[in-house]
Amino acid sequence: MKVILFTPAIKASAIGRMACLVTRALVAMGHAVVVVRAESKSLLSAPTHDFDVEMVRWDDDRGVTAAAAHADAVVYQIGDNFPYHEGCIEWMRRIPGVVCLHDFFLGHLFYSWAEKNRETATSLLRQWYGEEGARIFFDPSSNPDFIARTWNVAPMTEWICSQAIGVITHSRWGTPRVIRSCTGPVAVVPLAYDAPGGFPVGPTPSHRQTNTFRLLTIGHINPNKRVASVIRAIGSSPILRAQCVYRLVGHIQPSAVILLSALASSLRVNLVVTGEADDATLAHAVAEADVVSCLRWPSLEAASASAIEAMLYGKPTIVTDTGFYRELPDDCVEKISQMDEIANVRAALERLFGDPVARASLGRRAKQWANSTYSARDYARQLIDINAISVKSRPSAGAKVFFKNVMKNWGASDELLRGEGLLMASTAN
Amino acid sequence: MKVLIVNNMAPFVWGGAEELAVNLQKNLIIAGHQSEILRIPFQWEPATRIPSQMLMVRAFELANADHVIALKFPAFYIRHPNKTLWLLHQYRQAYDLYDAGQTNLPPDQTGADIRSLIRNADNETFAESRRIFTNSEVTRQRLAKYNGFDATVLLPPINDAELFVGKATGDYIFAGGRINGMKRQNMLLEALSRADSRVKLIIAGPPDVFADGEQLKETVARLGLEDRVKLDIRFLPRDTYAEYLTNAAAVAYLPFDEDSLGYVAMEAATAGKALITTSDSGGILGLVKHRETGWVADPTPEALAEAMNAVYADIAVTRAYGSSARALWHSFNIDWPNTVETLLR
Amino acid sequence: MKIALCSSFVPFLNSGARYIVEWLEIMLVKEGHQVERVYLPEVDVPDLLFQQMAAFRWIDLSAADRVICFRPQAHLISHPHKILWFIHHLRSFYDLWDNDQYRGFPDDTKHRGLRKALHEADTSAIQEATRVFSNSRVVSDRLKQFNGVESEVLYPPVLHPERFYCHGYNDEIVCVCRLEHHKRQHLLIEAMQYTRTPVRLRLCGLSSGQDYPAYLKRLIEELNVGEKVALEERWISEQEKVEYLANCLAAAYLPVDEDSYGYPSIEASHASKALITTPDAGGVLELVQDGVNGFVAEATPKDLAAAMDKLFADKNMAARMGRNALNRIDEMNISWSHVLRRLLA
Repeated sequence: MKVILFTPAIKASAIGRMACLVTRALVAMGHAVVVVRAESKSLLSAPTHDFDVEMVRWDDDRGVTAAAAHADAVVYQIGDNFPYHEGCIEWMRRIPGVVCLHDFFLGHLFYSWAEKNRETATSLLRQWYGEEGARIFFDPSSNPDFIARTWNVAPMTEWICSQAIGVITHSRWGTPRVIRSCTGPVAVVPLAYDAPGGFPVGPTPSHRQTNTFRLLTIGHINPNKRVASVIRAIGSSPILRAQCVYRLVGHIQPSAVILLSALASSLRVNLVVTGEADDATLAHAVAEADVVSCLRWPSLEAASASAIEAMLYGKPTIVTDTGFYRELPDDCVEKISQMDEIANVRAALERLFGDPVARASLGRRAKQWANSTYSARDYARQLIDINAISVKSRPSAGAKVFFKNVMKNWGASDELLRGEGLLMASTAN
Repeated sequence: MKVLIVNNMAPFVWGGAEELAVNLQKNLIIAGHQSEILRIPFQWEPATRIPSQMLMVRAFELANADHVIALKFPAFYIRHPNKTLWLLHQYRQAYDLYDAGQTNLPPDQTGADIRSLIRNADNETFAESRRIFTNSEVTRQRLAKYNGFDATVLLPPINDAELFVGKATGDYIFAGGRINGMKRQNMLLEALSRADSRVKLIIAGPPDVFADGEQLKETVARLGLEDRVKLDIRFLPRDTYAEYLTNAAAVAYLPFDEDSLGYVAMEAATAGKALITTSDSGGILGLVKHRETGWVADPTPEALAEAMNAVYADIAVTRAYGSSARALWHSFNIDWPNTVETLLR
Repeated sequence: MKIALCSSFVPFLNSGARYIVEWLEIMLVKEGHQVERVYLPEVDVPDLLFQQMAAFRWIDLSAADRVICFRPQAHLISHPHKILWFIHHLRSFYDLWDNDQYRGFPDDTKHRGLRKALHEADTSAIQEATRVFSNSRVVSDRLKQFNGVESEVLYPPVLHPERFYCHGYNDEIVCVCRLEHHKRQHLLIEAMQYTRTPVRLRLCGLSSGQDYPAYLKRLIEELNVGEKVALEERWISEQEKVEYLANCLAAAYLPVDEDSYGYPSIEASHASKALITTPDAGGVLELVQDGVNGFVAEATPKDLAAAMDKLFADKNMAARMGRNALNRIDEMNISWSHVLRRLLA
């Protein structure tokens, strides 16, 4: 098959990394792939992951059209980040395809896109979420916290999924909205991922002398990673205070550095802020860590690359019992209930600190499970499958669109559109 | 030209509209065109089925037709660039019958939604049609009132005028046409029992259901009218029907609030027969002018009885009314060549 | 019984598919059944297929005791007692898919998806049927191959076969059918260059366009066979056809890969005439047995000429084969009584 894959390609993009894995898997299976770089123009000069296939820029109208003309399968990688996925949004309307949905919440993506498309955006909000949704989305007065005021009322999942001929996503919890809005097939497939190699990983090196308990959080350090809660948890435990070093590796705002350092200092917690690091440093930090903290609240993504990485590295990982993380096997990660978060984190960390054997087993089981689950080959195969199903379901979906449009022209109420008398019976469905 | 006539179909039911379509086809061919009839099965029960039936017609694709003449809801939703409507029926249960509470649309939000849907879809069809004709003044008025569209009245001609040449002025009043509650043959019988003994009646035609015919027989028996009424309850051969009509003293046709003139009335006028009808009969009032072309009675047995008596009071006057009816009918200029030409304009 | 006969049609296009429906209607009415003929429009445009199919799905024929469906997409109609007399698929998505010329749209992902979806929808609808009949072995095989469905072959008889008779065997090979490229009258004309006996050829029928008949006329001129070929491009009445067949030496019918044997073949057989055909004619080969009731000659002018000469040279053989042709009809159980018996079982 000839596949055209719209995705961010730059090194900084985890989705880009995943897309690269899938591309290589597709090629290994004998398919031909053309990658269309979807990141915003200003990012197009940045270095990319090594896809090793023909790449086209999304703003190369002729190039994209030519590649798509011969394509058997069209795929769009979508995440909640406009600068990385701008090209996908532009082309999705013109060339329908299968969407790989990395985030169920797409509020930020939509917000940025809406800047140049305010009228369409407002009518879309109204269409999916009514007057209420249209009102609160752009208006911070009800709640200045963007995510908090929008994630439940207007997550924008429907906006993208209604344009897709099929959707692959990476966990179940957000699928109701996807299923409701996508006229084609929806599949849940474990995210394609691998552990970036380079350093031996596994349980912490046994030659380490000290009794230090190394806790690590990686990735873009923002409030939903619950760093402050972890600091408080450590701070409330004499044992942890004494033994634990909590390290943060990844991009972090200077203001956050000041705040978190001050908090740690006041609670006598040993916090190490490394900031953004190269692959080698990152890998080393992971190799060294005893436990990885992948706490998230709120959790809006379909899958967590960092949690998967931690598991692939065989690291005991603590996660918040929600969303994607809730669907992980109970015996592979330590799940923390958000209610009474700090106390729960403290208890979990103390437990893990006190039982190295249990820690090692947890890590081992995580690695075993992750290895067999997060397979790029399996993802590639399911991508091809869902494309075939999507293409087969399109004629019927097209008929439904036709009838829906006629009904809308006749001013049909929503109830009538859903009505039982309107037996939308094409025998295939 | 290839002219496609598009009508509804109620499977295994054949009525006036079907006859009209067939005769329109015949006359289009006589005028030199090719013509076929597309009959689309329409199920309106339960009312919640109606939206799907509307969509069904909208989804049909027509190839190879130069011109379409559509007759009813929802057949007239068929898409064609050259579509003329000869409106026999809108879906009255979404319009005047809805207002009168006589509808199969449920009395809830769904019913209101369907009504609104029909209205919008109808308006869309009316707007995209080349010309709109209706088969009666009543239908034209309703279209203007409820949908705001103008239409021209185009009365359908009778189909075999040569059969309807007036013969003798017999001693009976003829009531032809379908037999059912709306046509009110029963009221005629009630009237007959109050009329002079010399008034005779022939009621002939097919019952919609068996019980309709049986009821008339019961009424005749109950009122003891056996020697003054002949009931010929069946689908009559055309010749037989023509015989009854052309030899009558007058012709009675008193349906409740019918849209169109009624073939019986038109055939009677063609044969120069005076007409008896009631004030609430609807379209036929275009042809029956009281004491000019016949009698318009209040819809009661007593008033009808008076009209029936009047037929016999002065046979010359009755004949004169009949001639006037014929003259009035002819003045409408309703014949097939004209009709075909008008429809294709 | 109340029986609805359902088929798709293109207005003003009179294809063989109409005869099977309309003749069945005549025979059913003769047996005393109430028949409603439901013809609904259908256009084979890939992008419009599924919405038209949905429309067929919404047809309500519950008033019928039985529904018999012929041409696609009529088989999609839903009914508790649905019988299919399947005459052909949407061939461009089935057996003609691999033929770039006939397919008419590209073999790309979208259309492959459409094909899959169509096969599934068709299979599902066909499986709903109480019984599935086909009009030939060819079609039955396709139903099995593509839809996995078993079907019974029910050969379509010709209307009033008693009209056909045998008067004698003159010097003409006759082909009475539409003048179309896929009916290959041009091959028969080309054959006339190579005939060695005084055998003659008569081609009669109308065409859907002007190009092919013009081509045939040119061909006759170029090959200088005007003396022995009669080309009548006009409407041939039933009576004329009966006469031509009654007197001819034999008939020829060699369409490209036709679904069924075709009415021309069976008409000739009723007139006790042998049939010349070719191995690639499709359903005709279920009727014609080489050397028994006709010849299956290679589709080349020389071989066709040889077959014609053989028949001319030995009129006894021609007569014998003609008698076999008549018997073949009974052998294959081609009769209305059989059809009715099977459809109404």
